[in-house]
Amino acid sequence: MSDTPVTAVVLAAGEGRRLEPLTNRRPKPMVPVANRPLLEHVVEAVAAAGINRIALVVGYRQERIRNHFGDGDDWGVTIEYVEQSTQLGTGHAVLQAEPVVDGPFVVLNGDRIVDAAVVSRVRDLARDGDHPAMAVTTAERPREYGVVTLDGDRVTGIDEKPEGPVETNRINAGVYAFSPAVFDAIRETHTTGELAITATLNELASAGDLTAVGYDGRWLDVSNLWDLLGVNAALIGESEQTEPTDAAFGASVTVADDVALAGNVRIGPNVTVGGSTAIGSNATIEAGAVVENAVIFPDAVIGAGAVVRDAIVAGNARIGANATIAGGPATVVVGDAVHHDVALGGVVGDNTTVGGGATLTDGAVVGDDVRADAGVVIDGRVESGAVVRRG
Amino acid sequence: MCGIIGYVGELDSGGQTDGGAVDSVGAIVHEGLRNLEYRGYDSAGVALVGASSGLTVAKRSGEVDGLTVPDVPDATHGVGHTRWSTHGPPTDANAHPHTDCAGDVAVVHNGIVENYEALKAELSDHEFTSDTDTEVIPHLIEEELAADPDADLLAAVRRVEDRLEGSYAICAVREGNDRIIVARRGSPLVLGRGENASFVASDVTAFLEHTRDVTYLEDGDVAALSPDGVEIVARGEPVEREVETVTWEADAAEKGGYDHYMRKEIHEQPESLRQTLAGRLDVDAGDVDLDVSFPPGFLADLEEIRIVACGTSYYAGRYAARLFEDLAGVRATVEIASEYEFGAGRTPDRTLVVAVTQSGETADTLGAVRRANAAGARTFAVTNTLGSTVTREVDGTAFIRAGPEIGVAATKTFASQVATLAMLAVAVGRDRGALGAADARSVLEDLRGLPGAVQQVLDEEEQVREAAREYGDGEAFFFVGRALGVPVALEGALKLKEISYDHAEGFAAGELKHGPLALVTPETPVLAVLTDGARADETMNNVTEAQTRGAPALGCVSAGDEYDTLDVSFEVPDVGVVEPLVANVYLQLFAYHVANDKGRAIDKPRNLAKSVTVE
Repeated sequence: MSDTPVTAVVLAAGEGRRLEPLTNRRPKPMVPVANRPLLEHVVEAVAAAGINRIALVVGYRQERIRNHFGDGDDWGVTIEYVEQSTQLGTGHAVLQAEPVVDGPFVVLNGDRIVDAAVVSRVRDLARDGDHPAMAVTTAERPREYGVVTLDGDRVTGIDEKPEGPVETNRINAGVYAFSPAVFDAIRETHTTGELAITATLNELASAGDLTAVGYDGRWLDVSNLWDLLGVNAALIGESEQTEPTDAAFGASVTVADDVALAGNVRIGPNVTVGGSTAIGSNATIEAGAVVENAVIFPDAVIGAGAVVRDAIVAGNARIGANATIAGGPATVVVGDAVHHDVALGGVVGDNTTVGGGATLTDGAVVGDDVRADAGVVIDGRVESGAVVRRG
Repeated sequence: MCGIIGYVGELDSGGQTDGGAVDSVGAIVHEGLRNLEYRGYDSAGVALVGASSGLTVAKRSGEVDGLTVPDVPDATHGVGHTRWSTHGPPTDANAHPHTDCAGDVAVVHNGIVENYEALKAELSDHEFTSDTDTEVIPHLIEEELAADPDADLLAAVRRVEDRLEGSYAICAVREGNDRIIVARRGSPLVLGRGENASFVASDVTAFLEHTRDVTYLEDGDVAALSPDGVEIVARGEPVEREVETVTWEADAAEKGGYDHYMRKEIHEQPESLRQTLAGRLDVDAGDVDLDVSFPPGFLADLEEIRIVACGTSYYAGRYAARLFEDLAGVRATVEIASEYEFGAGRTPDRTLVVAVTQSGETADTLGAVRRANAAGARTFAVTNTLGSTVTREVDGTAFIRAGPEIGVAATKTFASQVATLAMLAVAVGRDRGALGAADARSVLEDLRGLPGAVQQVLDEEEQVREAAREYGDGEAFFFVGRALGVPVALEGALKLKEISYDHAEGFAAGELKHGPLALVTPETPVLAVLTDGARADETMNNVTEAQTRGAPALGCVSAGDEYDTLDVSFEVPDVGVVEPLVANVYLQLFAYHVANDKGRAIDKPRNLAKSVTVE
């Protein structure tokens, strides 16, 4: 049995609305951290666990995923794509993979970064066990996830984002081991609305049929925009950054050690790039700019003398000369929820132009395709496509 | 314009297939043919040689996937061929390999044997089974081997080669012989140096999954391939040729998750353009580093740049000619390569001839380069292919770095060609003192914004898909633009006709009223380039003329501008002189979706081949 091939089904069809505006043009798994999409970190963990066949469930903005991963050769894996044309829940997403899965398989989320170790442990259970299994980890704020109750190594229940107090900080890590029998189990799961895989897992748990795999390794989740900065910093700090050979540097440039520079980045004279910063391909940092704790997407331009701290600047956006994203703790509104004291200087969406001398304060989130005039002060949210004028 | 593959090697399984078929000589050759199918695809065949089974040939007209490769368990080597007809229709008999009368020798061939009729007449006692020029080669080899039974296949091929006129690449195998013999004169041929295996192909993509160590043969080389290595002979003397390592990714040449290479390649443009620009733009200094050099004073004294190219590359040249005139202050003309002649009193040492060819193997363009070289002009190539023939024949080369392009309809290479030529125009303009640093900086900022602008267009694919659905059933399609919009209109029309088989024409917008307007009806959509660099307002006047005849009008419009009367308006981000190039991405997507809705063979349009290596 030990050499039965195990397929990894990676769920990457979702949109990730909470990360708007970054997800207006790319699915959440394609949001970059340390200059590589979240999903690429997941694919690497799968490949490092010795799984060489991946079924990617794609949907929203799937061209971005197909274009980046192709047939998987770059990662030494074979990637097949299955389409989930409407996002009807994670259980429904897993069902889409049924035609390409004919043996034991593991399921992962395309936007949660985990170690290869947990993937290989779950894979071993998929290969050997008759029971479905799920990885269980711990979180500081368990109520934001699926809280798991255990009896020994049996899962007895999963409580999705519980409202009240919880007795444990154990949560569902989102890595599962299944046999093809689970497809029938998903179909037979009674739910109202979306077909979530956790609903099926709960039914398996009540039947005493779900094994828990404890895991205390890396588990990085980007639930909110500001999490991106933390996850980016964690990943950059972990790996040795080597200076790319074809980046162009001006004179008197200061670059901290924990900075990830993509291949063809241009950095003008007298620029300071502070720690925990990733700068994407073909991005330009013009003379005298200061960039610190930031995620700069490909093709973005940070104008001369601009200050960009604790910030996310999306693809092809342009921050004008002497514009300021000062950084520091902020209050950010996401949907109906108000988040206080988060470390987010500001977010600038794809293709947005922030005029010279403009200022983003208090965690401003500017949509994509926004034109903000020179000298404006922006706080709160600016809708995509808006024009921000002075006065 | 055919594809050749050959493989000789020691398989771990001793040639036995175990479960998967990938371990057999036949499977490796078949896979190589699939990788080469873009070079031609009207017939295919293989010849396999086994120690005891002898020579086995299988061939037929049709696509490579339709070919059943025989199971020859003891095969030690084999050759394969995918054909695009030049001599004789695509039939089973005309498919390669061709064999001699005894069925001992098999040959695959790319190119043309010009004196085949004379040779065929000399071989009157041989039995011919096809209409091809190729078939004389195995019979000539048979003659040589009969005349000198002690000669080995290598010696026989060398003697036959002396009698052939034309340009060709050939691979020959023979029963009882354990080597593949190859010869190159004028057609591309590259050797792969694997571990206990050797490969030969007309293009490295054929065997890139097996080895990245390659040797490019030079004209006149004859080589013998065995599992241990290759023996190369040039003009009767053994020679060593450099082993180079191919750095680009084999998988980039595979389709990944897309339905068609063309759509994949359209979507690759932001990344391929980033590669084109990487390390070459110095925006602050207003200069570019293309790693090219000209003799001191040559550019200052330059009278004319003549661009020679075919097809899509020709339109890239048209775009570039305007940039050379505007930015570099030098007269620039574009010639269709097959029509090009050096003359009309031009001064060779004050003329730069720039050949634009994706493959670097385009026969018409190589012919033009040779005529320019013969006249004493300085020649320069803009190409995508390292080690290609054109790079050996010119004085300097700039690579466009677009990565392999498999779809027959060129997409990303057009974008990268124009971007590379624009950088060349800036470099020449700066060198000549015709372009100030501030103006150069503005162009370079536009170029820097190109990848992001193209991504923005790709994000609007759904809008183009809907437009294609709505207007794709037109009786004919007219593409118009002015200035830099003209080459884009021409390219847009070419793309549509290539892959959808619809009648499509591109015009300078001002020409519409001088004739083509007579063709305009409510059933003929007009697509217009209405951006910076394309004199949008004047063009819109011409579009309005077409609209008054009832034609639907679709326009690619600069962000911030509005033409209310357009039926469909595609927004082009603000990137100055490269806006028409960004608009072209909309036209690529339009062509793709029109053709896809009609179920066309998008990656292999009928009657067309990717790399046209015959004149």
